[in-house]
Formats: sequence, structure tokens, C-alpha cells
Amino acid sequence: MLVGVEQEKTVQGASMEISVSRQDLLRELTATQSVVERKTTIPILSNFLFEAGDDGITITATDLDQSIRTTCAAKVKKPGSCTIPARKLYDYIKLLPEGDISIKLLDNHWVQIRSGRSNTKMVGMARANFPQVPEFPEASITRIPVASLKSLISKTIFAISNEESRYTLNGALLILKAESIAMVATDGHRLAHIEKSGEDFPGIGPEKKTLIPRKALSELQSLLSNTDAEALDFADDDHTLYFRIGARVLTSRKLTGQFPNYEAVLPRDNNKFVVVRSEDLSGSIQRVAQFADERSGAIRIRIEQNELKISSSSTETGESEDTIDSPYTFDPIVVGFNSAYLLDFLKAIGNTGEVRLEFKDSQSAGQMRPEDGSEDYKYRYIIMPMRI
Amino acid sequence: MGFADFLGNEATVRHLREALAADRLPHSLILAGPRGAGKYTLAIMLAQAANCLSPAETDGLPDFCGVCSNCERIGQAADLNARVDEALAARDELREVDKKETRILVQTHPDVLVIPPDPPQLLIKLGQVRTLIREIYRIPAQARRAFYIFTSSAFMKEAANSLLKVLEEPPEHASILLLTENPGELLPTIRSRASTFRLGAIPLEEIEALLAQRRTDWKPAERALIARLAEGAVGRALSFDLAGYLASRADALVILRNATREPDYSTLFRMTETYRAGAEGQEKTAGLLRAFHALLEDLLLLREGAPHLVRNIDLQKELAALADGVTLAWIEAAARGAQAVESGMRRNLLRSLALDSFATQLVR
Repeated sequence: MLVGVEQEKTVQGASMEISVSRQDLLRELTATQSVVERKTTIPILSNFLFEAGDDGITITATDLDQSIRTTCAAKVKKPGSCTIPARKLYDYIKLLPEGDISIKLLDNHWVQIRSGRSNTKMVGMARANFPQVPEFPEASITRIPVASLKSLISKTIFAISNEESRYTLNGALLILKAESIAMVATDGHRLAHIEKSGEDFPGIGPEKKTLIPRKALSELQSLLSNTDAEALDFADDDHTLYFRIGARVLTSRKLTGQFPNYEAVLPRDNNKFVVVRSEDLSGSIQRVAQFADERSGAIRIRIEQNELKISSSSTETGESEDTIDSPYTFDPIVVGFNSAYLLDFLKAIGNTGEVRLEFKDSQSAGQMRPEDGSEDYKYRYIIMPMRI
Repeated sequence: MGFADFLGNEATVRHLREALAADRLPHSLILAGPRGAGKYTLAIMLAQAANCLSPAETDGLPDFCGVCSNCERIGQAADLNARVDEALAARDELREVDKKETRILVQTHPDVLVIPPDPPQLLIKLGQVRTLIREIYRIPAQARRAFYIFTSSAFMKEAANSLLKVLEEPPEHASILLLTENPGELLPTIRSRASTFRLGAIPLEEIEALLAQRRTDWKPAERALIARLAEGAVGRALSFDLAGYLASRADALVILRNATREPDYSTLFRMTETYRAGAEGQEKTAGLLRAFHALLEDLLLLREGAPHLVRNIDLQKELAALADGVTLAWIEAAARGAQAVESGMRRNLLRSLALDSFATQLVR
């Protein structure tokens, strides 16, 4: 069991009593409950920590790798703190009707929850057992617009590696420069890179690179889509990353290791290109991929004489070909790709607008970019070819 | 608190502390020693010494205070059985679907992960090694050095294999400790990636003195017997379950008497019948075989004229009589037979049948 360093504030028989609106409480619990690990054998980690101060409560959840702490307006009758089983509390609060909920700490870590004519007691654990959660630092805070970061994450997170052994690829790299913000993710077979210019980050030197673990990114994604805030605060120290979105703070332990030198693999002379509608391309690939080898999902792209042909064949299922007409004046080219990787990118840009496919030859990486991308966002996606 | 509380094996402890002092603690190390030799105690002490917030020095080597927040939280893992029981209780409360995938882990400090063998099979499983692989590349949050402690070397095959990559490329800030009674049980590829430290037996007199000081609740005769049965392992001596051992030994004696005197099969079969399937039966069988080995060892010592080394001193007379009736070849065959039963257990042979077959084969 874990013991926080923080001493219990109330020494003689801990107490706490608050009253909070169900709507507020449920909103904050929804935001924090996702870090509570379902499958943990460390009992305290399946609890929320409630701390009631003078003007509201803070709710904390952690799985030791990351934590979310949030505040919620409440009428505090007796300040104090307690822990409450997270899953049970969340499920219970969801079932309560709208109205005020009173939460009161009783003896032996029992917690009483009352609302209207409902009355429930459940048993928590000693507050002292709750792990220490790092505090948001005061210095060197960077403000990042919510919309920018949200878009950066959604356009790269799918490319993060699932392979445990390639631990430096288990996250996305955030690159902050004085006037731009960028994010890169790769799994060694494909790489997603997006840069947004026209930002203003005073206090950022020439460049600041931070590797953000995947788990933290997906937490961040859901926090960002549930906030009215325009910007978030980002900070880090030697071992922890901090994100403050409105009243909620997400912390995540950093990953070690060097993110690979991705700049070296960005193609420079992919001078043959074709532009097609995303929707057409996505439809064709999905159809053709039905007949691709099941394990590799490999499809062949052949471009010649104003035609883009996508084909596949497998000994088991048969073969399939789709043709899309599009202006193309360069030398003919044939190159193989994993269909799933292509579809991931098309999905990330929402299957809308046009997409530009750029090639060098059949042995070199291909690049995809949205053709009508806005001025601010530079989005590129690099895929290694397959031999078929 | 401190390394002063660790009894015996001064040389090994000193080497490890010197490594700590020079900041050269190996990234992966095997701590080998018999049951109860203090492998786990030492592992926890090392984790405390490496992370103590008010580090002290004794004898010019790093030590720990035992009271700072790091020491205290790491120290809470010291009572491993209690922590494992808590984890098991927590697992029992999970939803059915989650239970199967949830592995037992003990983590009283965020940067010290203790990985015990997962019940009921009592093996280290893939899910546990995966957790390590996921966690170890994170920078320690509150420790200078993260520790990952495997308390047993009974690995599932795939779990052991998946550990190799991390052992080969461990991060700068972490140490993996593999505790084992028998290093040969670990994959050769694991052994070659780790440095081995051994904890040996400590002399009988020291254990007797220690028991006299710490376990005044035991009678002197019990203490003398336990000191011998502990085979030089401090932890085993201090927490010896004499009643359990005596029960196992009584059963072992049934087999022995049956084999060397007039066979009495009804008594024998009534006894073997109580060895059933399941985790409880597994433990019971292991206890019986251990007791049987101890008796064989004594018979051997008595036969070869070294009665002062006998461990089961309370049975000396009966054992001496038994020893006269057996030959060296018989003892050897019996020891092999017991080993065969042991390996049969691992293959899930029916326990009572395996014991019956073993016991009847021993009859001369």
C-alpha cells in the first residue's frame, strides 16, 4: 500500500462533509475516471481521492503512471479528505437523479452518500495510503491553444507503435518552437508529421522536444474535447509532464530514450505526384483490400497515363482492381503499400477533400499530404513501400 | 534500521553495497540462495539504500534510514505474503472478465515493483513481464533508481523469453533483481545477461543464538531442532512452522517405516489418500518430499558415522535404528525416487498415486 508524504490534515478522527450538485460531480468524475485502472491488484489505485477545502473539492485519480486532478464547486460543511471506490461511486452517481448529493465521511473510512431519498454507504481506504500526486510546477509554463493540440494529436496518434519492445516509439514527439508547434509519431513503417505555424510561444528557446506517452495522449485527447478553455498550460520537470486544462491537471511520467531522428527519413525528392479525391481513394482501397493477403494487407498502386490503378491478389480469395482517373504526366510507377496504413491517414483527414500522393520510385518511401490543407497546418504522412 | 539488521553473508552484502556506493549496481542481477536465506529482505534493503532520502553511512558504505518516505513505502513491501494476500483479495473483487487477465503485482512505492509468482499456478506470467516492459522505460517518479524484483525463478516459458530484451537493454535508471533458490532454473540466456550474487548458509551456532534471542516463545528443545532444520537460513529459522513440518515428517516416516520394516499398506494408503489435487495438495506434497529428503540425509549421516550433523535430533534413536537396516544404494535409490515424484508433480501426476507407487517401490 502506498503512503503519501502529505500528512493527514485532521488528526483527531478524520472528518469531511460536502454537498455537491450531481451534474457537476458527474462531469468531473467522468473526466477523471478514465485513469482509474480496471485491472489493478493495488487496492488504493481503484479509489478516488476527495479533498474538501474551503471553497470546493478536488478529486484525484492515478494509476502511478499518470494522474488527473480536478476541482469541483461544492458546499463544504467540514473540510477534510477521504478515498472512495472509483468504479462503484461513478456507476452509482450516474444512476442518481438530478439534485444535490451529500457526501460525508464516517468512522473507519466509511463514506455516506445521500441524495433525495437515496442513502448509500461504501467503504474507502485510509487517505494516507493514496499515492502522492505531483503538483503542477509554477515556473516555465507554456500556453498552447486547445484547438491546435487537439488537431495535432488526432492526426498523429494512430501512427504510434504498439510494439512494447520499441519503447521510444510508444509515444508522440511534441516539438515546440518560438512560432510553431509540431507533433511526430511513427512505428517504424509509417510516420505522421504535422506542424502548425503562426503560434506564439514566448519563453521557448530555439526548440523544445518532449516525448508524450500514448496513454497520456489519449487522456489528453478526451480532456481537450470536453473543455471550453481556449488554451492549456503545459510544463515539465525531470520526470513528469503536466497539462492543465481549465481546472483539470493531467500528469504523466516521462518515457526515457531518444525518439529517432525522424528528419532523416522525410523524403526530399518525391517528384512524381498524383492528386485524387480522398473519398474515391478510400473507397477503392477498401474494396481492393478485401482481396489482399490477409496478413500483410498489401496492395499495389500503379500510376500511368492519367490513371491510378489499385490492385491486389491473393491465392485464397482472388484478385481485384480499381481505377481512378487523374491527371499524371510523369514516368509510370508501380509501388506496393500496406492498405491499412493508407486508410489510417485518409481517416485522419476525415475522408474529405483531395489528397496528394508523392513518389520517387518503387523502393522509396511514399508521402501523402492533404492537397487543400490550410496554410497553417502542414501535415505529411510517410509510408514505407512493400515488395509485392 | 539498516543493513546491520541483515544477518550473515557479510561478503555478499558488502559487495552489493560497494556497488551501490560506486553507483555501479548491475542493471540485472541474480540473487541466489536457499529458501529463507534473506534474498527478498536483501533486495528490499538494496532498494531502500539506493533511494533513501536521508542516506546514512555505516562502515563507510551506503545504508538507509528506514523512516523517510521512500524507505517507509518500499519497506511496506517487506511483508510479501501479506501484500500478496491483499492483491489476491483485490483480484477476487474484480469483474469475472477482468480477473483472468489481472496479474498479481506489489507496488508499495511507484518505482519499486515486486513481481511474485502468480497464483494458483505460482509461476511468473507473461502479463507480469509485460507490465515490467511497459513500466521500466518510464523515468522514476520519486526514486533515484527504480527496482523490479522477481521473487521467484519459476517463469512461464514465454514470460522468461520476453524478459530477454529488457535484460539486454535495460534503461540507465533501473535494476532488475531475480531471486532464485536455484539459478539453474533460469534460462541460460537470462543467466548470461545478469551478474550472480549468492547467499550461503550461516553457521548453526549463530542461528541458535539468534533464536534464543528472538524466539523466546519456543522451548529450548524446539529451538535446537529448528536451528538445525533451517539449514542455515535465517528467515526460515525465525518463521519456522514446526507443527507443519512435524506433520509432514510423520507422513514421511510412514513411508520410511513401511519400506524398511514390515509393510503396512493400509496405514500407508490412508496417509497418501490425504494428498489431493489443487494448490493445497501441491504445498503439502512439497512439504512431505522436503521432510523425506531431510530424513534420508540424516540416515546417510548416521550410516556414515557423522551423527553430530543429524538435523532431526529428536528422532535420533529411531533414525539410528532405521539406518542400520538400509544400505547406501537404497538411500540413493530413495532420493532418486523422491526426485522423480517431484518432477512428476510438475507434470501434474495424480499425487496420491505417485506417492503410492514411490512408497511401494521403496519396499525391499
